[in-house]
Amino acid sequence: MSLRLQLRTRPEVPVEADALAPDRLQGLKTPEVESLPLIHGNENCVVGDFFAADGECNGELHLEGDLSRIKHLGSGMKSGTLHIHGDAGAHLGVGMSGGQVIVDGNAGDWVGPEMSGGRICVKGNAGHMVGAAYRGSPMGMTGGEIIIGGCARNELGHGMRNGLIAVGGDSGDFTGVNMLAGTIIVLGRLGLRPGASMKRGTIVTLHDSELLPTFSYACCFRPPFLGLYLLHLRQLDLAVADAHISGRYARWCGDSIELNRGEILLYKT
Amino acid sequence: MDDKVKTAETSSGHVKVVENATCTFCGCVCDDMVLTVDLDQKKITKAKNACVLGRAWFAEHVHEDNVPPALLDGQPVSVEAAIEEAARILVEARFPITYGLSDTTCEAQREAVAITDMIRGNLDTTTSVCHGPSGLAFQGIGESTMTLGEVKNRADLVIYWGGNPAESHPRHFTRYAVTPKGMFTPNGKKDRYVVLVDVRRTPSAPVADLFLQVKPGHDFELAWALRALVRGRRLDPGIEEATGIPLATLTDLAARMKSCRYGVLFFGMGLTMTRGRHFNSGAVLALATDLNEYTHFVAKPVRGHGNVTGADNVVSWQTGFPFGVNFSRGFPRFNPGEFTTVDTLSRGDADAALIVASDPAANFPKAAIEHLGRIPVISLDAKETATSRLARVAFRTATYGISVAGTVYRMDDVPITLRTAFESKLPSDEDILTALRTRIKALLLARGQAAKSRSAATRTAA
Repeated sequence: MSLRLQLRTRPEVPVEADALAPDRLQGLKTPEVESLPLIHGNENCVVGDFFAADGECNGELHLEGDLSRIKHLGSGMKSGTLHIHGDAGAHLGVGMSGGQVIVDGNAGDWVGPEMSGGRICVKGNAGHMVGAAYRGSPMGMTGGEIIIGGCARNELGHGMRNGLIAVGGDSGDFTGVNMLAGTIIVLGRLGLRPGASMKRGTIVTLHDSELLPTFSYACCFRPPFLGLYLLHLRQLDLAVADAHISGRYARWCGDSIELNRGEILLYKT
Repeated sequence: MDDKVKTAETSSGHVKVVENATCTFCGCVCDDMVLTVDLDQKKITKAKNACVLGRAWFAEHVHEDNVPPALLDGQPVSVEAAIEEAARILVEARFPITYGLSDTTCEAQREAVAITDMIRGNLDTTTSVCHGPSGLAFQGIGESTMTLGEVKNRADLVIYWGGNPAESHPRHFTRYAVTPKGMFTPNGKKDRYVVLVDVRRTPSAPVADLFLQVKPGHDFELAWALRALVRGRRLDPGIEEATGIPLATLTDLAARMKSCRYGVLFFGMGLTMTRGRHFNSGAVLALATDLNEYTHFVAKPVRGHGNVTGADNVVSWQTGFPFGVNFSRGFPRFNPGEFTTVDTLSRGDADAALIVASDPAANFPKAAIEHLGRIPVISLDAKETATSRLARVAFRTATYGISVAGTVYRMDDVPITLRTAFESKLPSDEDILTALRTRIKALLLARGQAAKSRSAATRTAA
């Protein structure tokens, strides 16, 4: 039986809910779940102050209500499924290493920062800093997948070291900035200055894009790996056409200020 | 008595001359003012060495002894009653924010940090809306830094980027960076090559030997192109279309930068507050870092408010971070975008605000100002402002650098001591904040003891 937590009191100020991860609630009875700690602004509270719990967690946790003010959901989770039936607040799935997070609505800033495994699927839009490194940290996500059905904002995949980020809509400025490795696929348009300071890694878009002067054209080709990635994304409900899978892509190398081993692939009709 | 302060009876009345006074109007913090003070009228009648902005700063200071030092809901009350109410608001708040701090002394800033730490609040300064992006870039890239004295004595290539010092910091050219004669620049301006990068020709342009008019919003591309040229990478001539500047000009400038003896990049809010923000600052800082493989090159933000650099310094040495710091978990966390004041107000996170020497109600985005109107605000300011008018508790404090002594930091992180021109009956920011901290501490202790008693009673009942 899965555990359902229904938001019954909308918080007046942001709540930090590191405790709400399926692996952390595994086997706990309802009263035990409701007595887990939360931080409401600068005050220590418990889950029961805001949520009504029902059921027992068998690895599946359902959260219901407008959770846009609840931060740090699924923080550090290693296994299980966290299904958010609505919007999620900032810092979703911070540093998670396994399991799956599904958000039916939109997510705030910092989706999956510094995660190392597992998958986050956001059906709506996401804010800034998806899969990014925290300020002062040398690298962002090191593994796993983040799938955004809608659009994402600036600094998508900042300092990304490995893994996959896919965006169904557009991405903001500085997509893949300081990227070390990994793959970013944006089915919509890239914002300004994609791949600035990237060392390695791949950024793909299905549209043309204005690139920095430190990127140079290499060739036009059919990347064999990309078909596999796009088929995988189609299975995850992103709108990928056959033409994208078999199409040709212009390869631009950069950033020449760094190693020049990164690539931006622009789809050619 | 301070030997730099001389009092004399003249034919025109009781006059005091304050030598080596400091102007706290802008980040230059010029400390060579000679102020003539009419003690009868309590007015500064002359400010020798001051620039046009400094003269206005000193001349327009009106002595207001009849102003009530504290207002509660717009009505005059005693300072003690106002402190009691302010302390209650801050202790009861769940997400209190502290903001401002750039136009007050370091001593007052220190008290504000202590208060925010105590109430587990959110601390931010006006840096977050001016050179906050540079603060982020320092963390990400690092800073090759200097003092303005070094620039005066050594710099032979001076680049201003995204600023107009002729109007915003008039003595920057004459006192520190362009015309002064230094140890290794004995001929002043003749020994320096000055470059100005801006989106339009400003009154600073005539000073420059080379003016680069960059396309608006394309500073990052320009800095990136210069970085590539300095590193010996080939660039497409199409760079002119992207930045508005021909490749040949950029190539010449890159060569000049590599071959200078001591180069300096001063950058302003034209760089930090345009699209790209911290990456723009970061690109310029990285350019200076790259150039250190060939010569000595430094980069420095040109700061606006008199003690905004002090705010960065004080908040950094007390919390480890310069702005956008949150204490809600009992320890400092840094996350601009989440804990910066425009964001905490626009999202409606904050439930009380302590505003020190700043006027966010006049210059923040509409959503932030609207939220400020919905929550209890405590303001400290030397003048009536839009923020003090909407504040539940408004303290009127004495002006720093004129009636309040203390420490401020110049834009190059050099601390400078203030010397007052005349006394004020109004309390200083430090006085109010110290009293507020003491009262908050007492309330928190009482609350802690009450919670302990309740918990003991519950245990006994069980």
